[in-house]
Order: sequence, then structure tokens, then C-alpha cells
Amino acid sequence: MMKSLVKRALAAVAVIAASSGIALADDFPSRPVQLMVAFPPGGSTDVGARIVASIAEKILGKPIVVLNKGGAGGQVGWTDMARQKPDGYYIGYINLPATNTVVLDPERKATFGVDAFVPIINQVLDPGIVWVRADSPYKTLKDLVDAAKKAPNTIRTATTGILGDDHLAILMLEEAAPGAIFRIVHLEGGAAQLKEIMGGHVDVAFDNVGSVAPRVRSGELRGLAVMDHQRSKFVPDVPTMKEVGYPTVISSSTRGIAAPKGLPQPVLKKLEEVLKKAMEDPEHVQKLESAGLAVKIMVGDEYARYYREIHEQAKKYTEWAKSRPHK
Amino acid sequence: MDMLQHLVSGFGAALSPAYLAYAFAGCMLGTLIGVLPGLGPAAGTAILIPLTFKLDPTGAIIMLSAIYYGAMYGGTITSVLINVPGEAASVITCIDGHQMARQGRAGTALGIAAIGSFVGGMVATIALVVVAPPLAQMALRFGPPEFFALMLFGLCLVSGLAGRSMLAALLMTVLGLLLAMIGIDPVRGAPRFAFDIPDLYDGIGFIAVVMGLFGISEILLAAEAPVRDVVRTKLSRLLPSREEWRRSLGAIGRGTGIGFALGLIPGIGAIVPTFMAYVAEKRLSKTPERFGQGAIEGVAAPESANNAYANAAMIPFLTLGIPSSPTIAVLMGAFIINGITPGPFLFQERPDLVWAVIASFFVGNVILLALNLPLVGLWAKLLHLPFQYLWVGVLLFCVVGAYSLQQSTFDVWVMIAFGIIGYVFRKVDLPLAPLVLGLILGPAIEKSLRTSLEMSAGDYSIFITRPLCLGLLIAAAAVLVGAALKLAPNALRRLSFSGIPVKSNEGGGP
Repeated sequence: MMKSLVKRALAAVAVIAASSGIALADDFPSRPVQLMVAFPPGGSTDVGARIVASIAEKILGKPIVVLNKGGAGGQVGWTDMARQKPDGYYIGYINLPATNTVVLDPERKATFGVDAFVPIINQVLDPGIVWVRADSPYKTLKDLVDAAKKAPNTIRTATTGILGDDHLAILMLEEAAPGAIFRIVHLEGGAAQLKEIMGGHVDVAFDNVGSVAPRVRSGELRGLAVMDHQRSKFVPDVPTMKEVGYPTVISSSTRGIAAPKGLPQPVLKKLEEVLKKAMEDPEHVQKLESAGLAVKIMVGDEYARYYREIHEQAKKYTEWAKSRPHK
Repeated sequence: MDMLQHLVSGFGAALSPAYLAYAFAGCMLGTLIGVLPGLGPAAGTAILIPLTFKLDPTGAIIMLSAIYYGAMYGGTITSVLINVPGEAASVITCIDGHQMARQGRAGTALGIAAIGSFVGGMVATIALVVVAPPLAQMALRFGPPEFFALMLFGLCLVSGLAGRSMLAALLMTVLGLLLAMIGIDPVRGAPRFAFDIPDLYDGIGFIAVVMGLFGISEILLAAEAPVRDVVRTKLSRLLPSREEWRRSLGAIGRGTGIGFALGLIPGIGAIVPTFMAYVAEKRLSKTPERFGQGAIEGVAAPESANNAYANAAMIPFLTLGIPSSPTIAVLMGAFIINGITPGPFLFQERPDLVWAVIASFFVGNVILLALNLPLVGLWAKLLHLPFQYLWVGVLLFCVVGAYSLQQSTFDVWVMIAFGIIGYVFRKVDLPLAPLVLGLILGPAIEKSLRTSLEMSAGDYSIFITRPLCLGLLIAAAAVLVGAALKLAPNALRRLSFSGIPVKSNEGGGP
């Protein structure tokens, strides 16, 4: 009797606190949390989301429900997230630099800006890779660049979507190797790249290590260069861009969790703490690594700074992509 | 020989009590997902993935595969009984399946659908075992230009085979393509026809449109019909009569063939095979006027195609790791979570898993048949509900289903709007199927057209310098021209009556 009265009183306090804009971290969460993924089920962002959700919900004490809002290269989902109440019950993935280029490209008419999201924690850093079919005439990145210089705008080069990290990476390589021009073909995701390359309809692909690592290891595909400072442990035989002479071509797709701006500090801290614990769990690391995804945890200032850096870099290449004569 | 051994040990695993139970549970859940309009196989499978987290990889994949093909079958039930496709691939089954139900032959329609699905699924799985690797290699020859030509061919086929209403069908195809343009440009990323409404950025939801066009319009039509028109039936007979068997056998065979062949081509989706199987039957039939009036072939062919497709689509998936439909993309996610990469090396690295899963397809098809033939009676009991309750229930299903697509009321409004549009179109006899096909194929056609042009740096000759592509384009043109010529004699006759002297041996005119 007494207990339920106390409970009611507490609940009333909580309601007042919440309605007056002060959220108490102790009350959070009182109901399930939605984790938005701006891509359809089955993609690598979704895979990572479902794994971390299944571990983090045990720590959080309330279910974490993965909500797929795919479409328009993520814009549909991010537009939705930017409109949500910043109470911690709706958080979602931001995919850098795709989230940035959606904001930066004026044609996209994004209804949200770069400040619409508060980065909470980064989960995965998946470096870029240049790859070809195993029987391709391009044995090394040098072969490829030389060919692109000799016959500019003829080598059919696949991205995984316009203004994604892979598209920007092609521009970085063109910048680092003046004279080399690729004929850019925008495909929808890694599965489409694989099909068109295996069928001989496209010559070379820019993607991320996570999508192709098992096939590169088995020798079915040939990796020409990894766009990171060090080699990837998933494809240890593939040289880095630095090793082949293009140290400025550093590109990756990073996936992390953010919230709509205005998230109260205590809730942010709580989410950060829970998600960090979940991501450090050996089960999480092992499951992601078996899917070819390298865990890279960044929280707080480190992640916020990274978000800014990527935005500045994306700005430069988005402008260039828009003005490039060979679109 | 080696393969046979693998298959036998695969059966050994698939028939073990635990895996049998997973397959059974998957079939039940899948059928339920299929029955619920709006909750398609892709969404349903994705939602149920967490259910399988506790299972070992083989068990998880057996169960999820069973959910997948169970849903493909379950969609038929509501198509037949209440003219609402439970999932997109059963749209075509509505046409004759529901007519059969109105004539009191719901049991037979569901029976033949179960049998057709069983045959389609079994044959496709046997073929999967035998021909998977070489056929999947062939499918790779379809690059973006070939894709474009193939889909164009599909659209021309639907219009060209519409007979006298060819113009109406073409009109509706184009309307479907136009609706598909709404949303963010898939290549360059600019919003089109979206009027700055964020909900339109992702286009209008296909499922919501289909539920409106078929489901809501049906409710509206039913509401104005006299009360005695209540759809009531006794499930006197599940098994077809001798005459119906005669008609169905060929249809099942052809449907299986079409479904299987198209299942090998990544990206076709589950709808095109059902449409193609249907038009093929109508085309071959000596009595095409029976179609739309409850022709059993109109149920048998698309249902066989549907399940043959579902199983054949596993071929490019298992051998190349290429998901050919959204649902298979979800399955692929489940594979990856379990640390398994589908692809050419899967058969060497994890033969135990692959063959157990393949064997479970056989087991699953048997379970579905055994589950559905007896349960048909239970589903059909829906029809004994009084009219007003039934339709209120359907309306509720549709609204909840449309809402659950993305937890957005916008889809509900889209569905209602298209319900009214569908009602008007049906009143003035405009065919709905070409619109739906145009809408579903629109984005893929546009994508493949523009990717082709990116490949050629804007040179249109890419479509005529590739033999396979050229052949498909010629076939597409031939279908339309052929159909137009068939209509031409009537036009000529009309001309001769309007005073132009045309030598005619025919006595009469129209």
C-alpha cells in the first residue's frame, strides 16, 4: 500500500520533471528505445545495429528496437530522426560521410543541418578498398592509375551510390593522380557491384573492406589498395594507399549512433555508458568481426571532433563532384 | 555422386527433431505473416530475425527460410478469400482466385494454390540442387542494359497481351511509371514531384498503393452492392475436379518454368513471374474470356510461379551471394550475423550447412502442403462471418498493415487515396495490373537505364551493340507491333465503311 503510494508520488515527480524539460537519468528509460537505421534490413549498418541492440538492451533493462527507415541513400531516415523529440527514446545511426553529403548537396534539399544530431558513440570504421575481378588486367593500383591516365574517362568505375564515401574516394584518387579520370558508374550497394563486376559490365569498384573481405581473402577478387593508414587485418595482403604512393587517399565509412539535438546531458551520458559497455563486450566484437567489420569506439569529444572533420572533408569533395565535367 | 551424398546427409540433419520443429514453426509464422495484409515477407522476416538469435546457424537459417516461403504461400489465402493480397506477389492471384471464391469455389482455389505452390517449390528445389552453379553464371550476363531491356519487355508483354484494351493497359503502365518517379532521384539524389513533403522523398509506398487499389476499392465496391451479394461459400471440395485438373496441370508446369527461370535473374522480384505466368496462360488458353471470371489456371499458374521463383531465387543467393529480392537481402543479413558468407565458396566451406538448408526446403514444402490443405477450411471460415464484420475487419487489417509499414500515418492516407482511385478505375474498366507493374518496375527500369548510360558515357548505342540486350528490345517491340497488327483488321474494316474502297471478300463488318 505504502509502496504503491510512493511509486505514484515518484511517477508524478517524474512527469513534472519531464514536462518541465528536466529529464532525470535515473528515470531513463521507462519504455523501449528505438534505434533507427537509415538503410533497409540486411545491410551492414543493420547487421551492426541488431548485434549491439541485442547486447545493450540487457544492460539498459528495456528493449532496444531496431527501426529500418531506408531510402534515398539514408536521407529518409535522417530526416525522420531530425524531427524526433530529443528524449533518448529515439536514437539512430549516422553513416559518415553519407550523412554529411546529404546535408552538403544543395540538390538534396535536406531539411536538417549538420547540427541536427548529437553524436553519441561510433561503432564501426570500415576503410575503403579498391578492388577488381581476379582475372582483371589491373594487377596493381599503379596499373589502374596508368590506364586511367592513358585513356581518361573509359574505365568503368563503380561506387555504391552517389556522394557516398566510395564516390568521394574516387575523387580523392583523381586529385592525387593528376590526369587520371575514371568513368563513374553509380550502383546501389555492394551486392550490385559484385554482380556487375563478376558479369564484366563494370571494370573496377570502390567499396569498403567489410563488404568484400572474404572474397578478397579467397582470391575470387583482387584488392588493389586499402584506404587507411595501416593494413586491414581482414585483408592483410592488400597494400595501403600509402604503400602504393597515394598517402592522401584516406577514406572510410564510419557508423555510429546519434540522437536528435537537445538531448539532456544525463540521458546522453547514460546512453553513452550503456552503448560503450555493450560495444566493448567480447560477444559484440567477435560477432562484428566475423561479419568483417572492425569495431572502432569513439565517444564524447573525440567522436564530435571526428564528425566535424569528416564534414569539412566531405564539403570539399561534394563541391568538386558537382563541378566535375565528367559526371 | 558427391552431391548426392551431401544431400542425403543434409536430409539427415533437416529431419532431426529440432530442425524439423524449426521448419514447422517457420512455416506457421510465415503463413501468418503472409495472411496479414501489409506485413510482407521482407518486413516479417526482418522482425523475426531476433527470434532466431538463440539458435545455431543452421537452425536459424532453416527457420528464417521457412518463414520466407511460408509467407510467399500465406499471401494467397487473403487474395482468394477477401481479394486483398497478403503480400505483393499474390496480387495477380486476386483476379481469378477471388472470382472462384465468389462462385463458391474458394476451397478449390486454395487447394490448387497449395498444390501449385508445392509443385513449383519442389521442382525449383530439385533444379537448385542440380543446376545451381552453371545457371547462376549465366544470370551474370545480365548487366544494366539487359536488365533494362528485359523489364521493358515485361511491360510490353503485359500491355500487348491485354487484347482490345491494349491502349488502356499502356495508359495504366505509363501512369504506374509516372507514380514511380515520385521521390528522390535514385541516381543524382534530387527530389522529384515531392512538393517538399518529406514523406514523399522516399516515393509512395508500393504496398500501401496496392492495398488501396485492390483492398479498399474492393470494400467500396462491396459496400454499394446489394446485401444479398455477400460472399459466402461452402468449402465443399478442396481437390479440383477432373476437368479442373486437366486445365491446371499445364498451367502448373508452365508457371513453375517461368517462376524458376526468372528466379535466376537477380532483381526481378516476386511479382513479375506471377504476372508473366498469368498472361502466358491467358495467351495460350482457347477460352481467354474465362480469365477474370474465375479461371482455375489463373490461380494455378501464378501460384506455381510464385513458389518456384521463391526457391529459384535462392540459387544466385547461395552460389553468388547476390540477394535478388528484399526478403532474400534480409536472409542474407541473417547469414552474416551468423558468420556465414553466401557465395561460391559456401558449398566448399560449409557443405553441412548448405545441404541441410537445401534439404529443409524440401521438408518445408511438404510441411506447407500438409499444413495448408487441412487448414484451408479454417481460413475459409472467415467467409462465414457476416458481411459487415468481415469488411470492417479487412479495413482494420489494411489500416493497421499500412501503418505498420513504417509506423507512419502517411501510408494510411496513401492507401485510402489509392482506394478511391482504384474504385474509380474499376468503375470505368481501366485495368489495375499494368499500373501496379509500372509502379514496381519503374525505379529499377530508370536505374538500369541511367546506369547503362553512365557505363557508356551517355552513348545510346550501348543498347544495340550488346546482342542479348538488342534481342530483348526487338522482342519487346515485336510484342507491341504484333498486338497492334492484330487489332488493325478491325480498323481497316472501319475505314472501308467510311467510303474508302477496299476490296473485301468479307460479307459483314462490325
